[in-house]
Amino acid sequence: MDIYLQQLPQQLVNGLTLGGVYALIAIGYTMVYGILSMLNFAHGEVYMIGGFAGWWVLHLLSRGNVPIINASLIISLMIIIAMAVTGLLGMGIERFAYRPLRKAPRMNLLLSALGVSIFLQNLVLNYQGAKARFFLVSSLIPESIRVFHIGNVVFSLMRILVIVVAFLLMALLTVLIKKTKVGKAMRATAQDTEAATFMGIDVDRIIVLVFLIGSALGGAAGTLVGLMFTQVDYYVGFQAGLKGFTAAVLGGIGNIFGAMIGGIILGLVESLATTFFPATYKDVVAFVILILVLIFRPWGLMGEKIPEKV
Amino acid sequence: MGLIFLMILGLVLWLPGLGHTADVIRVGNAGAFTGDAAAPCMEIYNSSQIAIDEWNAKGGIKGMKIEHPMGDDAMDPAQAVNVAQKFCADNLMLGVIGPPMSHTAQATLKIYSGCDLVNITTAASKPDLTEQGFKNFFRVNARNDAHGWNCALFITRNLKAKKIAVLNEKVAYCENIASETIKGLKKLGVKDSDIMQDTIVAGAKDFSPVLTKVKAFNPDILFFVATTAPDQAIGVRQAKELGIKAKFFGTEGARDKKDFIEASEGAAEGAYVYHFAPDVFVIPAAKNYIQKFEAKYGSISGFGPPAYEAANILLAAMDKAAKANKLNRKEVLANVAKTKNFKGILGFPVTFDQKGDLAGGATYFFQVAGKDFKQLAVMTGK
Repeated sequence: MDIYLQQLPQQLVNGLTLGGVYALIAIGYTMVYGILSMLNFAHGEVYMIGGFAGWWVLHLLSRGNVPIINASLIISLMIIIAMAVTGLLGMGIERFAYRPLRKAPRMNLLLSALGVSIFLQNLVLNYQGAKARFFLVSSLIPESIRVFHIGNVVFSLMRILVIVVAFLLMALLTVLIKKTKVGKAMRATAQDTEAATFMGIDVDRIIVLVFLIGSALGGAAGTLVGLMFTQVDYYVGFQAGLKGFTAAVLGGIGNIFGAMIGGIILGLVESLATTFFPATYKDVVAFVILILVLIFRPWGLMGEKIPEKV
Repeated sequence: MGLIFLMILGLVLWLPGLGHTADVIRVGNAGAFTGDAAAPCMEIYNSSQIAIDEWNAKGGIKGMKIEHPMGDDAMDPAQAVNVAQKFCADNLMLGVIGPPMSHTAQATLKIYSGCDLVNITTAASKPDLTEQGFKNFFRVNARNDAHGWNCALFITRNLKAKKIAVLNEKVAYCENIASETIKGLKKLGVKDSDIMQDTIVAGAKDFSPVLTKVKAFNPDILFFVATTAPDQAIGVRQAKELGIKAKFFGTEGARDKKDFIEASEGAAEGAYVYHFAPDVFVIPAAKNYIQKFEAKYGSISGFGPPAYEAANILLAAMDKAAKANKLNRKEVLANVAKTKNFKGILGFPVTFDQKGDLAGGATYFFQVAGKDFKQLAVMTGK
């Protein structure tokens, strides 16, 4: 038993970081679902492209693995540019793949999303190749401050950065949605698109905005994960997308706060499951929990029970 | 309407085939040319290409030019089956290099054997592959059971480790290496309670939860059995980050300067890896090949030399068949099976045994020193 207890604090740290990343991805899924009632399967690929964008910023601002400008400036630029690139990408996807199909049956939108996902994955495969790109972070953050210990628990600066940035972005989003006029318009559109239109809300613009924000958060997650796990390749979007989607459903799809909670819970469950079971079972445990939640609360942990429209 | 369309389509697809006379022959190359293992597989392809270029420069096989089509399976057994069927259906195809992975090789054994197409793999090491009675499958690399036992010897004798953690990916090759090594360790007197085994998921990019478990176990050696170098780089990096004191011991895929040593930014210093191929840079016969490869394709990681050797063995067998005016798949297969004391660039003469395995195979051990691997030991099962 001692051998388990000894791991717990470290596994909590592992789970929180992983959960923060899942949460950022889940928000993108849940925002789009909330407004369009569709699963944006291309979101995992948006995350992957965010990782590549961050890598290119780091690559272009380094000479022989040594950054040419201040490290914290590079990290900020990486995150900001990745968010800008993926935000624009999200808007593009909405304009060309989803808007023409908005009046079509939901299944068509879903297929279009799958198509975009495959298209983006192969586009990156074609132009960036199949090999993993490495974020050479050692010159960015010196070894001495990169890792530190508190008791028996190891913290890495990157992990803390990921948790902090993830929570910061989520807090900003919450303020935007709860306190601003745009946020009110977004909530209104999510509740009832037609009624929102009658009230004078430009629904098209709100939808574009939702794609912009959701995709930018996914892109930020891509770069943060690149910095933390030091690699990105054309295939990372698949698993990340799956986990983000799971987190969104767990928390109650359509509910932004639920996506955050769902992500954190999923990350924690995965790393704690590894402690007690062979690591192969971590996904089994995570999905058993998802199924249980869906049996007893089909609308997810935080989702609202919406009576079926007749 | 649909039927007519299909007929026209069939005609269009069939027409180019008509022009062919037998002035070319083909050697196929099956492997995962996209995905995480693309780098070693391209190295295999490029190395056999060098051998083929050399033969073509000499006038090919009896005046016939040799072509070298690539069959990409992306590490997926289902796609490997498609590649095998395509290669089998090609009448000009007389032999295949690969597949280089145990699970894709396993999926295609029956298909290649059904059309008498000889396979020479350069890396698939699961013992079972040559234990199923298929006569068309050969390998220039040693088997996993030989590697597993040699790794167990190296861990206990050379590294003097008492407590060992084994993490393996859930694919045929990795599971097999892990279980053969653990079997060997137990045979060498390591207690059950001093061995920990767990699994990792390839491409997950985060192994911290399972490595936290390893840290609690506190072993002397962490044997990290993953297929690709990028995964091993993450393993060695996160193990160090978590403060795991055990020495990292990686598998064949980790013998990659760029994707393992450079990618882990110093964390790999002092790490061990095993490999089925020796350091070719110290073998005089390999000099010409190394020069050609580096001039054209960049640095060699260790997957290339066996592929150059395999291509030469295959082409020699085809040449022999052509000279006897019996250039067909069956004859090429028979000639490959007769390969004995083939002196190539691997530093030991290649002989195939009854099963198609490499007679007298060996496992080489390396340690990361600075930006390169230093060969430490060779184990031959004793």
